[in-house]
Amino acid sequence: MNDKVLKIHAENVYKSFGKNEVLKGVSLDVHENEVVVMIGPSGSGKSTFLRAINQLEKIDKGSIIVDNVDVSDPKTNINKVRQRIGMVFQNFNLFNNKNVIDNITYAPLTLKKMTPDEAVEKARRLLVTVGLADREKSPVSQLSGGQKQRLAIARALEMDPDVMLFDEPTSALDPEMVGDVLNVMRDLAKQGMTMIIVTHEMGFARQVADRVVFFDQGVILEDDSPEIIFNQPKNVRAKEFINKIINA
Amino acid sequence: MRKKYYFFITLLTIIVGLIIPFSNNTNIGVAADEKSHYTITTDSTYPPFDFQKENQKEYVGIDMDLLKEIAKIENFTYRVKPMSFNMAAQAVANGQADGIIAGMAITPEREQIYDVSTPYFKTGVVFAVAKNSKIKSYEDLKGKKVALKTGTAAANYALELQKKYDFNVTYFNDSNIMYNDVIEGNSAACFEDQPVMQYGIQTGLKLKIPEQKLGNAGGYGFFVKKGQNSQLLKKFNRGLKKLQNNGKYDQIVGRYLGSAKSSVTKEKKGNLPHYNIATDVTFPPFEIQAKNGKYTGIDMDILESISKSQGFTYTLKPMSFNSATQTVANGQNDGIISGLTVTDERRKVFDFSNSYFRSGFIWAVNKDAKINNIKDLKNQTVALKTGTGSADYAKSIQKKYGFKIKYFNDSNTMYNDVVVGNSVACFEDEPVMRYAIKNGINLTIPKQTPANTGEYAFAVQKGKNAALLKAFNIGLKELKESGKYDQIKAKYLGSKADTNKEVGNTKEDNSVWGLLSSNREMFLSGLGNTMLLTVFAILIASVWGLILGIMGVSENRFVRGVYSTIIYIFRGLPLLVLAFFIYIGLPNLTGVKISTFAAGLLTLVLNEGAYTGAFVKGGFDAVDPGQMEAARALGVPYNQAMRGIIMPQGLKIMIPSFINQFIITLKDTSIISAIGFVELTQTGQLLVARTQKGFAVYGIVALIYLIVITVLTWLSKFIEKRLGF
Repeated sequence: MNDKVLKIHAENVYKSFGKNEVLKGVSLDVHENEVVVMIGPSGSGKSTFLRAINQLEKIDKGSIIVDNVDVSDPKTNINKVRQRIGMVFQNFNLFNNKNVIDNITYAPLTLKKMTPDEAVEKARRLLVTVGLADREKSPVSQLSGGQKQRLAIARALEMDPDVMLFDEPTSALDPEMVGDVLNVMRDLAKQGMTMIIVTHEMGFARQVADRVVFFDQGVILEDDSPEIIFNQPKNVRAKEFINKIINA
Repeated sequence: MRKKYYFFITLLTIIVGLIIPFSNNTNIGVAADEKSHYTITTDSTYPPFDFQKENQKEYVGIDMDLLKEIAKIENFTYRVKPMSFNMAAQAVANGQADGIIAGMAITPEREQIYDVSTPYFKTGVVFAVAKNSKIKSYEDLKGKKVALKTGTAAANYALELQKKYDFNVTYFNDSNIMYNDVIEGNSAACFEDQPVMQYGIQTGLKLKIPEQKLGNAGGYGFFVKKGQNSQLLKKFNRGLKKLQNNGKYDQIVGRYLGSAKSSVTKEKKGNLPHYNIATDVTFPPFEIQAKNGKYTGIDMDILESISKSQGFTYTLKPMSFNSATQTVANGQNDGIISGLTVTDERRKVFDFSNSYFRSGFIWAVNKDAKINNIKDLKNQTVALKTGTGSADYAKSIQKKYGFKIKYFNDSNTMYNDVVVGNSVACFEDEPVMRYAIKNGINLTIPKQTPANTGEYAFAVQKGKNAALLKAFNIGLKELKESGKYDQIKAKYLGSKADTNKEVGNTKEDNSVWGLLSSNREMFLSGLGNTMLLTVFAILIASVWGLILGIMGVSENRFVRGVYSTIIYIFRGLPLLVLAFFIYIGLPNLTGVKISTFAAGLLTLVLNEGAYTGAFVKGGFDAVDPGQMEAARALGVPYNQAMRGIIMPQGLKIMIPSFINQFIITLKDTSIISAIGFVELTQTGQLLVARTQKGFAVYGIVALIYLIVITVLTWLSKFIEKRLGF
């Protein structure tokens, strides 16, 4: 069906928080260079599934394989796997005790992945791409929301990830900041980055996604190209959800 | 500026707070004489005098039973308030309670603050050691640690011995803890009132009393605040006398001590006859208390020489002059030597020895003055001391010789007024004047016949102790014949004004500045110990607290469990209980002795460390957990992320908590006084026990704490800034 390399293979994933079952048998494959957007009502399990991919949430049942490594296996060295999976959070989660460039170089230096010179040089290049070249030494508290999120993306890219996970990256931003962040993500997609994105930006999804996945009540109800999902969804609930968002 | 205001306002509040209870007292005191219900304080544990029997709420003991019977006979009611001995004594001194009965020995210092009943129990100080101890005498105590109970006469007595026998002392507020300290072997011996010790051993304490002379023999009295509650005191004395006469007194004492009392009495007497001799606290040159607490003076030297030559032993009982005469008159003591003038009135109650000194009033002038005759005093100013016999005498001859009079309240000021030439002469008792001149007062005594001469003699109760009186007379005669008598006289009075120093000043300046300056070394050493304990406790507790806090945010559930348990235990235990447990309980478990400093430090570190650990964990928890997630998502291991991201931010949040904890630690060192570490608070307690000036001493102590806390806060803020937070 798809001759590209399989990057992520999730099979029959279950996860509960106490009595609340959030994932009820989710299976999903993501191939190299693919951009997958996950949509669905809040509480439907899309963020939890995203966080399960790099094991920020441990799953109860099923398996998730990233680059042929089973991340749900307790014997796996999860730190090694995480180094190849970049993640961007809704609330940026920048390191408040470090300035802009130190936020980017912290991980490779702490993990001894690069020499300080390499790390700084690469960080500067990334700052140029995300449009923060002039803020290198600023404390993060002085950045705007959009700048913070672009910095967070640069921080993730510094580690040369194979896959990027985005957990509602624009939800905490003022409307005028959203565009800049989406532009950075759009460029990233053009360069062929494998990306899984949880978002409510339907325009962006339609434009950038290779596939759109609709989550509802812990299961995937529909998984198809953006044209089909947005124009002729097969599932009734997907249709209701899309109508609600577009007419809102 | 603002901070300074707060500081002064705080100070003011404290001072006002301290003064208010005092000003109320006067009213209570005035009313107290007409009432028939009294509040009596007592020591909460001082068997066999005051204690609670097992499973009983009511207090019993010799004191309690006596009080009960006396109240019955004298028809008054009372409420007993048991508290620590120091507090009990203070409560009466402050007028918060009407009287105290707590096996409280009659001492001269106490008689300055309290009015005291006739002694109701004879006692003295002994030391006790562990059962297996080889210590037999004071000499064996050299270099050892001796346990004392704060504020007791036994403690004061031990302090007098301390220099001579060179032992170390440690203080406790409670007898049981003191005994335990000896049983555990932390201290080699403890000093205690003989009946108390005897009773304790009888009821199972694993201690023994080596054969020894009874130290500082004296009596227990019932005390009321000086000048107040005289009715209550009268009732007590009257009731006590009735109890002694109808045999009930003996019943009560027998109930608690059985026949044990007499056996000890024999022990202390040995082969030589032993007498209790009462004397005045301070009446130079006859009775002088040296700084080390030992008594010297003409009377003392004569008595000592005679006792040696005539083969008897005695225990000196210094008390106020009035008490001294009374206790001999009613047979509590065997004899009195106290510059006691022979009068016809006194002959009715005493049998006097031959006179050993002849005294009278004289007048002294400036060395350079050209006054040789009393007639030269005409139109000149003469200095007198208020209320003395010599002043009365001077007044009686004032008209005859036409001099002017000026009054002083104390001898020293009066002498100096003459020395500087404001007055030309002063009137004084002859031996007193001669003694002062010998000790460096720059006056001279012109040739004159002393007026109103009187004879000083030794006295015993009328019709009693004939053997003692006879021994004294024989001894005195021998002294005079051998020339030793003149030697003694010359030692104190000089033949001329030689400058042989004999220091005998016992007056203590009890003003705030006086207390501060005369006890400077005590305060400094107390403060030093407080600071030492604080600094070490702060450093070690902070490190320990950080370790605990880090354990508290560990990924490992077992490590977190250890954290929770440690916090639960050491934050939950009262500091005082922890201190006792470590100092007394731990050696019991491990068999290893531990010094009070080490025990105190360990106590503080465990307690303060637990609090520190709790807020350190809280500080780490307060850092936004998203940052940890972000670091983990980048592949950074938990511990590295903790160190690199969470801890630096957490520590910043904790700084105010750290400063707060430092101040708490400083204040908590005061609790370590309970196990006998002489830090600032304990220093204060010791001083109060000696001077009874609770207001001034605790005021000073409070002020020192505030100053140190201010400095500590400044220092912390300074370091905080320097660290660049």
